[in-house]
Amino acid sequence: MSSESLLVRKIDWGTVLDHIPAWKGDQVIKLLNLESLKQNPDVSVIVLHNVPSKKLGRKDIVKLYHYMVSEDEAKILALVLPQITINYIRDWKVEKHSPGLPEKIVGKIRCPETTCITNVEREPATTRYIVMKEHGVIACEYCDTLLEIERIPDFLIG
Amino acid sequence: MPSSLSGGREGVSPLGLKNTLAGRDIISCRDLSREDAELVFRLAEEVNSGTIHLEDTLVGRKVALIFVEPSTRTFQSFYVAARSLGAEVLSIHDPAVSSIAKGETLYDTVKMIEGYGVDCIVLRHPARGSARFAAEAASVPVINAGSGSQEHPTQALLDVFTIKSKLGRVDGAKIGMLGDLRYSRTIPSLCYLLAKYNGVEIFFMAPHLLQVRREVELYLSERGVTYRKAVEADEIKEVMPELDVLYVTRIQKERFPDPTEYERVRGSYVVDAKLLSYGRSDLGVMHPLPRVDELSPEVDKLPNAWYFEQARNGLPIRKALLHLVLGGAE
Repeated sequence: MSSESLLVRKIDWGTVLDHIPAWKGDQVIKLLNLESLKQNPDVSVIVLHNVPSKKLGRKDIVKLYHYMVSEDEAKILALVLPQITINYIRDWKVEKHSPGLPEKIVGKIRCPETTCITNVEREPATTRYIVMKEHGVIACEYCDTLLEIERIPDFLIG
Repeated sequence: MPSSLSGGREGVSPLGLKNTLAGRDIISCRDLSREDAELVFRLAEEVNSGTIHLEDTLVGRKVALIFVEPSTRTFQSFYVAARSLGAEVLSIHDPAVSSIAKGETLYDTVKMIEGYGVDCIVLRHPARGSARFAAEAASVPVINAGSGSQEHPTQALLDVFTIKSKLGRVDGAKIGMLGDLRYSRTIPSLCYLLAKYNGVEIFFMAPHLLQVRREVELYLSERGVTYRKAVEADEIKEVMPELDVLYVTRIQKERFPDPTEYERVRGSYVVDAKLLSYGRSDLGVMHPLPRVDELSPEVDKLPNAWYFEQARNGLPIRKALLHLVLGGAE
């Protein structure tokens, strides 16, 4: 039994997000939208910070008991945190998931351009981005502003 | 309007060509093809020469002009164009005396004005992305008349029309863009439209603080458009002899987030007879106007000054565009 598994018990149903860079676990919760997680009374969330890791030295782990990360959510997690591994757990059985990259991201990320219509108070405009992975950026579909993928965590909504 | 409806009512233009602009939103020059632009230019030419008359082709139609930012040329030319085509015009020109001053959102303004049975909305708004947002909210075509520092596609149409009529071609043109390339909305639109032509070369002539935004560079490089940057005064002088056109822009003081940054670049360039002496004798000088102190009045007297003719071209271009978007009767 590895030292990390001693920290918290295994789950029988849900999602385990592993190999998250150390202290970035809270970003994962933001990307998954904490408010929507809260609305499901059966969901338990366990965030492990700064756990020893052979691969990363130190890492975070997020265990989502009774929550299956959707394909769209998995794609965004893989874009923002390329090292992440996503494991679905069903009846104790572990299934590794390798999501592709998203073509678009709706909501979740605030536009870095302060004069963008999505940042105008009370306008019912939801952010929408095109992913330009080959250029390492996402582009706001409304105002065209580019945001580097590694800067996405700084602009998460919530 | 919803994208599924865009381009829905395609008909035939007065030129006998397919009207690819009927019912479409005009939000960004990224969305316009060379053929779309050439259709507008050909109709504007015919209007200018008097061979085609568009008067009263929009009788019974309503055009809403919503201008949430100051404007002289764009508002007036859209107003005169719509009226001369016979359309009824509803306008919000002074937001201070409309519900916008009470905090009404753009979304509500668009839904409200649409309820009055308008056939088209022409929008100027300080927010980037405002035109696309309004187009998604509206069920009628939206024409972007300036979306903050983002774009001004109808200005680019009249700019390229001016280049074409004065230079005789757009393909292979060498265009210098001098001034505030960062906050000017005319520069991105002009670049996106020029990118639809072959062999165009663009020279961005500005200090680092005012250089063109990254998304414009990315768009040009993805389409294989050659561009160079000239930052220092000496580099600008070196570039001058290569140019067919020098397009000058005002420093957009109102868009600087930090006033100290504005003070750093204020007065950093002036186009005068001395600077033009480094260029070819037939170099054309363009400016979207208004100017402040970046373009000396001494240039007005020179044959190089194209900018007043450029401003006049706003009317035939906007007449042609309104006619085509609204699918006006012949």
